[in-house]
Amino acid sequence: MNLLPFVVAGLVIGSVYALSGVGVLVLYRTTGVLNFAHGAVGGLAALLVWQTVELRLQPAVAIALGIAAGAAVALLFGLVAGPYLARVDQLRKAIATLGLALVLLGVMLFVWNDKARTIRLETSRISFDVGGARVNVTQLVCLGLALLVVVGTLLALRYTSMGTSMRALASDRELAAVVGTNVRLVENTAWATSGAIAGVSGILLADQTRLEPAFLTFLIIPVLAAVVIGRFVSLWLTLVGGLAIGVGQSLVSAWPTVSAFSTAVPFVVATVVILVATRRRVVTVGVVRA
Amino acid sequence: MNRVLLAAFLARAEVRSALVGLAIGLVLALVLPSLPGVGSGLALRTLTVCAIYALAAAGVGVLYGRLGLVSIMQIGLVAVGGWATLRIYHATHLPFEVVMVLAALVTAAVGVIVGLPALRLSGLSLAIVTLMVAGALEVLVTYAGFPNGGDGFLGRVSGGTLAVIMPRPALGQSDDEFFRYVGVVVVVVLVLLRWLLMVRPGRTWAAIRQGEAGAVSLGINTVAHRLLALAVTSAVTGVAGALLAASSGILDPTSFKAQQSVLLFATVLIGGAFSLLGAVLGGLFFYGLPQLLNTVGLDGNLVFVVLGLGLVQAVTTAPAGIAGQLGALWRRLRPPRPPRPSRPSRPSREVTV
Repeated sequence: MNLLPFVVAGLVIGSVYALSGVGVLVLYRTTGVLNFAHGAVGGLAALLVWQTVELRLQPAVAIALGIAAGAAVALLFGLVAGPYLARVDQLRKAIATLGLALVLLGVMLFVWNDKARTIRLETSRISFDVGGARVNVTQLVCLGLALLVVVGTLLALRYTSMGTSMRALASDRELAAVVGTNVRLVENTAWATSGAIAGVSGILLADQTRLEPAFLTFLIIPVLAAVVIGRFVSLWLTLVGGLAIGVGQSLVSAWPTVSAFSTAVPFVVATVVILVATRRRVVTVGVVRA
Repeated sequence: MNRVLLAAFLARAEVRSALVGLAIGLVLALVLPSLPGVGSGLALRTLTVCAIYALAAAGVGVLYGRLGLVSIMQIGLVAVGGWATLRIYHATHLPFEVVMVLAALVTAAVGVIVGLPALRLSGLSLAIVTLMVAGALEVLVTYAGFPNGGDGFLGRVSGGTLAVIMPRPALGQSDDEFFRYVGVVVVVVLVLLRWLLMVRPGRTWAAIRQGEAGAVSLGINTVAHRLLALAVTSAVTGVAGALLAASSGILDPTSFKAQQSVLLFATVLIGGAFSLLGAVLGGLFFYGLPQLLNTVGLDGNLVFVVLGLGLVQAVTTAPAGIAGQLGALWRRLRPPRPPRPSRPSRPSREVTV
């Protein structure tokens, strides 16, 4: 059996997982919020693109609109809930985003129902042969964009003043505020950025897989697995993790006997990583205070 | 001597509130079907399923409220319990009560195996891992289906053979009787859970939630106690699965989607995670609210929006949920209790210098 097509498909999906994971990671490091609604934001963006293209809007404008909508939704949540969330522990911050995910899922199901749709980006119509596997331009865009966003985020965190502020917040929110960082501004930037990334990855995933609200919402699962592999800190390891999970899922789905279990791959991988990476948690007084 | 001990036991506020809850629960379970308007048809069947989901909600509530653990896989575990029930029944034809206990044990084992690795890390990892399990279980259940009397491990009938339906328990054949049956089982399980929370394991769990460093310094094995909690709540959830399987005799994979698990978690936080009343409210919201929306002609999907907003609100401003707010209201409305006249044996707390 020629496995190359599966490897290519896996690398492509995996790169979008990684791309999405960068958005989750940046938001998590900056605000402490692990965003379970990341997939739902992407789903909403993709459905908006589908809807506006149906209404005969230019595809490029539609995509820009979708990404902007993703950023706007995330920013709105950050603006409204952010101040409250700053006061509760990390677990509760994450739980609150589960609420956002439910709201977005409900809106999507209410407006568009749960029929499976497809969007075909213009770039998916151009394809060529690489060693027996069909590759289209969208897939190249996925791979390139993931690399670009990882490198770009690293550089931005390193060299821009906003990036420096984000690293300051990640390190210690209170201290960053004391030395004059505009905490709210930095956090809102992180929300908007991660929302835009969620929008981009949602649109790409909808093109590569299928456009279905619940399915796209729960694509947060492999994305979170990628972030777990990155140990919640490393962008590069998140990229590697995303690619590994994508290829793993794709290869498992290649064999008919086990293909039903391909969605369990993120769970297995994340569990193994958690087990291997476990250092016994140090219980400090800080745990009590939190 | 015994009478003195009993009096002291009954004087504890938590015991009294638990007994009041027990009485109200039993009365509701036995009287509700005979009320006009409720006593037949859709309303009663809906309330039956609500009561069943109250058990699953209680599992979530105890884990979150008493241990600070977030488990987003409970509907998946309900499916596991239901699957085990149907599988064991079709293989052995044992009485339903035995099957239910066995299914609870199976579900407890699954819950523990799944949660074990994540328990060694922070609460956030358990939330992530259980969400992944919810997603994986949804696909597995859709792939495997539920046993309906066929051959093989999966027990699915194929071809032209008719599906076999598991009969309801002997004590609960009609809708009325089955509601009472479910009601009594739910009340019994909730009472056991309440009792467990009042004795040593429950107090240990509370100690872990209050401060892990303190609990560790007292020599408490935190991982073992969390595992116990996971086992207990998974077993309770398995009972819910068994009852659900008994109510219609056959289960459909589409009722066990991952978003349902998230929804159940939301309803528990909205209802109130710190009391079992909250769990009952959670069950009502989880299954009753969509039915209610459908009845008044609204799209059932709006329930996601309502409960999602409710979850955000509960996390940010009302950590004790509706049950907590009801409790606060009750304490405000209740006339202040006159101080006990004689308490000679107690030393006075104020120290005068």
